[in-house]
Amino acid sequence: MIKDILVCLEGSPSTEAATRIAIGIAKACGAQMAGLAIIDEPDIRAGTPTGIGGSTYKHERDETLVADAKKLADDWVALFEGRCRAAGVPARSLEIVGRPAESILTEMEAHHLMVIGRDANFRFETEEHDNRTLNAILHKAMRPVLLVPEMTEPELGHTVLVAYDGSNAAKRAITSFAASGIAQGRAIHVATVDDNGVVARELSERAVAMLRTANVAATAHNIVSVLSNIDALFKLARDLGAGLMVMGAFTRGRLRELFSGSVTRGLVEQTEIPLYLQH
Amino acid sequence: MTYPTPIWAVAPFAFYLLLIATLPLFLGAFWEHNRNKLIVAAVVSAPVLIYLVGVRAGGGQMLLRTGFDYVAFIALLGALFTISGGIYLRGSLVGTTLVNTAFLGVGAILGSLIGTTGASVLLIRPLLRANQQRAYTTHMVVFFIFIVSNGAGLLTPLGDPPLFLGFLRGVPFTWTLRLAAPWALVNGVLLVLFAILDRIIATRERRRPRKAGVVSLHPSAPQEPFRLDGAINLFWLLGIVVVVFVMGRYGTRLFGDSYLRSLVQILGLLGCGALSLVSTRREVHEANRFNWGPIVEVAVVFIGVFVTMIPALSFLGERGASLGITKPWQFFWASGALSSVLDNAPTYLTFASLAVGVTNSGGGMLSLDNLGGLAAHPSGQHLLAAVSCGAVFMGAITYIGNGPNFMVKAIAEQHHVRMPSFFGYTLWSFAILVPLFGVVSHIFF
Repeated sequence: MIKDILVCLEGSPSTEAATRIAIGIAKACGAQMAGLAIIDEPDIRAGTPTGIGGSTYKHERDETLVADAKKLADDWVALFEGRCRAAGVPARSLEIVGRPAESILTEMEAHHLMVIGRDANFRFETEEHDNRTLNAILHKAMRPVLLVPEMTEPELGHTVLVAYDGSNAAKRAITSFAASGIAQGRAIHVATVDDNGVVARELSERAVAMLRTANVAATAHNIVSVLSNIDALFKLARDLGAGLMVMGAFTRGRLRELFSGSVTRGLVEQTEIPLYLQH
Repeated sequence: MTYPTPIWAVAPFAFYLLLIATLPLFLGAFWEHNRNKLIVAAVVSAPVLIYLVGVRAGGGQMLLRTGFDYVAFIALLGALFTISGGIYLRGSLVGTTLVNTAFLGVGAILGSLIGTTGASVLLIRPLLRANQQRAYTTHMVVFFIFIVSNGAGLLTPLGDPPLFLGFLRGVPFTWTLRLAAPWALVNGVLLVLFAILDRIIATRERRRPRKAGVVSLHPSAPQEPFRLDGAINLFWLLGIVVVVFVMGRYGTRLFGDSYLRSLVQILGLLGCGALSLVSTRREVHEANRFNWGPIVEVAVVFIGVFVTMIPALSFLGERGASLGITKPWQFFWASGALSSVLDNAPTYLTFASLAVGVTNSGGGMLSLDNLGGLAAHPSGQHLLAAVSCGAVFMGAITYIGNGPNFMVKAIAEQHHVRMPSFFGYTLWSFAILVPLFGVVSHIFF
């Protein structure tokens, strides 16, 4: 059962949704929460060509941006603590000065689950978008990550779809999800997509058996579809009314990802429901 | 008997310019301190000083002449920096395409009067303030750097440091006015391009509203009337123009001795700066975030530039013709290419010296110490025009080509404008400026 949840704080609507979902899980599991705000000082102060006379202006610019980042971090932490207090969930908060990906990966070691907004930008002072941080986290995280897109639903929903491809990451995802307590009281469906329906059925049955050993009941689905794997999974999720998808993250090597694309990346970019991911 | 300058004596100059370009990138924290810059300048200058004082015939004299040039150069930059830092534009302008284009147009003229740095300091914050409600502002700052921080400064020696260096070495004050045609072409085309682009972006913003991109650090009060704080500084600015013009045209007649003339010029410039300082209210300096940091940094870094460039310029003057750069268009592109990645002031002098060498190889008898001869020479003047245009215009190609470029970028980022990265900005300039410079090269050189 999850006892400690880490929430990454910043200013995007998806982080707003992530905080809401995390508070819901914490209440259901009796977990405590930790809010993590990051001041990306190393990237703000990173060296850059300045020309003659420019380093003074760079210093002033760095000071302004660091002060601004610190103020925003203070605001987000105060907002987070206020929400947790209002929900009656025990919470503490952290402000770390450092590179976002490294800071989050280090901090999440001490927590059972990390909740993050899909569109979170931890390098907001220097970049318009921050895909790098999320990418690094999903590739290197040793703990499960709950990735939440911008959404209006206040909670995870009653139905969960587990996408299972037989990989080690998918097995770890099922194991940690079954132990998390999130499955309790929810309808669990397991789906495997494959061109061979028999193989897909066999794999999904295996996943159902794994869940059963952890006392979680589930229904198996095999999908043979002309749609891409991503679209087929989204279609099933919509048909089932799923409010959460569970899967192994980046189960293929980076080289294969480069040539044949990544299902995880596609799901992360397009999902409208939270994803429970384990690398 | 004079001996040719050895090629090794050029190495400290090239090495120092390379350090100026790369140390902020790789050792940013180290380079932030002026003391460290001074140490680097001293270490790189040491072999040149030894060569000049101990080996080179007349080296001491060259060093003294360069020392006076250096002090006059810093005095002008310091005075313009102080004066422009004492003027602050207030007013609640609304950043329409017309207003923004007018801002850049005014900057294109002001740049030659108060220097591109001064015009940039004066106008960038009001421009950002006027566009607080606009969602997309990056293009405004990029075009601001193209026009106000660079292209604007071609018309007078006050406009851009390289031209002032030329003036200190004898180019007449009014000589640069003959560059009005390329100045008008470059700035005119850029203003039209900006107006079209801004219009398209403003229309798109109205169709798809997004939150504003600029956060003003000094927001205007609603309906604040348009006002110029520190207007007395315009008078001190006029003083600078008078000092530079009079000393350039009548200095030798009045004072004879060139050192005495330089001294009077330096005192005149410093006097204008000092009068600005004592006559400007503190609030105006605070609104401009005025401090001595940038000018001290410039003064420290240029010590090394001025010392190490002495043998480099001699070398180019002696053997310029053998380097294969002989045509005006070659001077335009070569001085421009180097100005885009190194500071354009030393680059200007380097190629002006090369032009002297090339002109002398064709039968001229020009002196490196008096570029006025080059400016008056029938073929040399074309080379000098090409070097002036290349150094001034192409300083805009990267953030490090000219002093104000990075200053404008940093101020914009403090106002939360998303500025392109070093290479992103270079893409902008390659897409817009390089084709335009191709046209300039074709028409004028």
